Amino acid sequence: MTALLQVKNLSRRYGKVRAVSDLCFEMGCGQITGFVGPNGAGKTTTMRIAATLDVPDGGDVLVDGTSVLVEPRLARMRIGYMSDQFHPYPNLDVMQFLDFFARAYGLRSRRRIETVHSVANFCGLGSFLDRPATGLSKGMGQRLHLAKTLLHDPALLILDEPASGLDPRARIEFRDLLKRLAAAGKGILISSHILPELGEMCDSVVVIEKGERVVAGAIGDVQREAQLEQTIVAKVTREADAEAMQRHLAELPMVGDVAVDGVQLRFAFVGDDDDLAGVLAGCVAAGYGLVEFSRDAADLEDIFLKTTKGRLQ
Amino acid sequence: MTLVDVSERGSPPRHSFGARLSDLVNPILVREVQQAVKGRVFPWAILLALAASVVIASVVSSEERGVVNGRGVFSAGLATLAPLLLFVVPMQAYNSMRTELRGGIVEQLLMTRLGPGRVLIGKLQAAMVQFLLYVSLLAPLLATSYLLRGVDLPTIAVSLFFAFVACLTATAFAISSAAQAIVPALQAIANLGMAFGLGVATLGAVFAIAGGDYTQLIGALIRSGQLTVTLTAVTLAATVSVTLSWLTARSYLLHTFEDKSSGFRVFLWALPVLVYGWMCVFVERAYWSEVFPSLTVGLLLMGIGFGVFMVTEQRALSPRVRHHVPKGGLTSALAAPLLPGRDRGMLCFTAFALFLLAVGWSFWPQGGLDERGPDLVARVGLMIFAYGLFYLNAGRWLRGLLPETVPGSQAGRVVMPVLLFACIVVPLLVDGLRGGYVGEWHWGHVLNPFWTTVHAVSDRWVDAQPVVLGALVALSIAQVPLWIRGVGEVTRASTALRRR
Ligand SMILES: Nc1ncnc2c1ncn2[C@@H]1O[C@H](COP(=O)(O)OP(=O)(O)O)[C@@H](O)[C@H]1O
Ligand SMILES: [Mg+2]
Repeated sequence: MTALLQVKNLSRRYGKVRAVSDLCFEMGCGQITGFVGPNGAGKTTTMRIAATLDVPDGGDVLVDGTSVLVEPRLARMRIGYMSDQFHPYPNLDVMQFLDFFARAYGLRSRRRIETVHSVANFCGLGSFLDRPATGLSKGMGQRLHLAKTLLHDPALLILDEPASGLDPRARIEFRDLLKRLAAAGKGILISSHILPELGEMCDSVVVIEKGERVVAGAIGDVQREAQLEQTIVAKVTREADAEAMQRHLAELPMVGDVAVDGVQLRFAFVGDDDDLAGVLAGCVAAGYGLVEFSRDAADLEDIFLKTTKGRLQ
Repeated sequence: MTLVDVSERGSPPRHSFGARLSDLVNPILVREVQQAVKGRVFPWAILLALAASVVIASVVSSEERGVVNGRGVFSAGLATLAPLLLFVVPMQAYNSMRTELRGGIVEQLLMTRLGPGRVLIGKLQAAMVQFLLYVSLLAPLLATSYLLRGVDLPTIAVSLFFAFVACLTATAFAISSAAQAIVPALQAIANLGMAFGLGVATLGAVFAIAGGDYTQLIGALIRSGQLTVTLTAVTLAATVSVTLSWLTARSYLLHTFEDKSSGFRVFLWALPVLVYGWMCVFVERAYWSEVFPSLTVGLLLMGIGFGVFMVTEQRALSPRVRHHVPKGGLTSALAAPLLPGRDRGMLCFTAFALFLLAVGWSFWPQGGLDERGPDLVARVGLMIFAYGLFYLNAGRWLRGLLPETVPGSQAGRVVMPVLLFACIVVPLLVDGLRGGYVGEWHWGHVLNPFWTTVHAVSDRWVDAQPVVLGALVALSIAQVPLWIRGVGEVTRASTALRRR
């Protein structure tokens, strides 16, 4: 079975800026993939190319096996693209707005009206149909934007920072909508800066930076991978102990650089939980006055920070 | 599983006859009408038009001067229509296109089944609905003027025809200007050009109509027996203009990231068919010896205009085009001049000009010794061809120094007139600085197409002819490597497609 979305060696430059370079990843049906990276990493550029709105310098994107370069029109019918901006038309109500896009997607007569109603109900817009489209709250606006994206029943949804600017409640409701869509078999590629958000609903992540892929894979795998090199924080009672413990740790094979700051130590550690338990036992046995010995749980935010090192373009 | 299955059912949808009928209409038109009903401009324009016609009618009916009154009513009615048709309708289209582009809504549209073509046609249709509405608002007034015997029916019909053509052309122009604003750098130019162009056109029309010149002109035209030829010529010019606006708007909407000019190139090749066809059908044979040479030279000038755009494009085929070149070896080579890229642009222009040369060669009327006759036009045509080749080649080379992006292409288009200007002005300045005045033509001015042409075509043609023909041949031969490169890229892409 071919993947729903395949990004193959994608490259795009704007003058001297390499917005995307040699990017590869895949995702399947029913999957929610988080697309993560700092500002200017090339997320929007990648998504626009995948949505046939931009042309790459090299590489290709296949949607359900259809190349966006060779058959953009065919590919478009399978893609719902929600851009990072939304400006509805003035002087139209919500119903008319959806109806217009339904017509634009070639839906006719009864089928069009049914689709508009079911999509509006699905997105919780049922009681807003006669409101002016420009007068909605940010949260309702994003729902309208999503509803518009769903009208032609696309297999793949490409959502560019859909949750940015939403209040927490609206964000949770939006996330539930996406989960229901994924359960209905749609593939969703979603970019966001709100990383813990993505962690709760994504099956996999792709982290990019300066247009290049840093990590990609199922969330569990990536977390494990990230945990293989982790930062451990330890605290002792006296500064003399800290220095002694630094010398002790520096001799261990799985420990990287050890930094001492007063009574606190930070060190990089490569190894699994058993190895870490061994290190802790060794320190206790050596008699350092340990009061704290902990590891930050590697959630999505950590993966992000670790892999992108906070370098912004 | 589709969404309809996922979502809970809402209220049972209604489906009226009107809704079914509207399925047949362009969605853009449906939406524009819905927006207009809720908007402000539209009701105000209707109110103003109604008020104007009431005022005119009451002023006229208070006097009793029969025929003169009738003409006055007609002129007043037309003068009220002119700003509506030349300003309000195009400006509405301009603004609605601008809304479409704001925040990239148009991209959302292009993701649907509506191509840029249908978007633009929808806009034009919306404008034409407004045209009909305004005309029918003022119809009672026009009918009154007819009943007062101020004007005859042909005058009304011809006037409305011209009004329609003007409205359509202005609207198409407005839409294409708005579409160009998709490139932020061009936004200010588009806004200014729009307001200025439409304003001037409207004022001119209102003054001409209110002054009565327009009605007299139409009357004279109808009596002169040149009506058909004029109407068809106007239609032809409007068709060309609307098509150009349409192609421009389409290319801006579709391809902000790649040059894709095949539509323009095909249209350029369609022009001779249209123009010569019009001549054969509508122009009396007696005038052909005058009309044919000027049409041919006019086409050549159009070719140079298109050429400026063709030879400043990105050089290589974009990946999208590369995947859609014709698969056959021969067809791909034949189609090469119509595909984007500046090398192929040079080929397209040269082929077009050579085609005109061949047509001219075959059908050029005998001018005899008359210095103002077709011989002179032929010489001017040859000079234009030579200069066209030179400047387009120079422009193509200069554009090659700029980045291979769409902004690079746009900069290249600006560079070319600058180059022409420099080639004209610098020798003049040098002359002026050296001798204090600009005297006779000399070889330093050979790149000044205007002066050199005036200088060469009359009594000095014997000396000039070999130079011009030599330049033509040399400039054509110098391009052969470009042609090979341009066509080669297409045939290679075609071979790659066949292999897959
Ligand atoms: N139209 C454009 N013209 C020039 N540079 C661009 C354009 N679009 C994006 N870029 C550049 O490409 C890089 C990637 O941008 P983008 O894809 O928008 O990143 P993200 O969405 O991850 O924040 C940035 O450095 C940005 O400045
Ligand atoms: Mg972005």
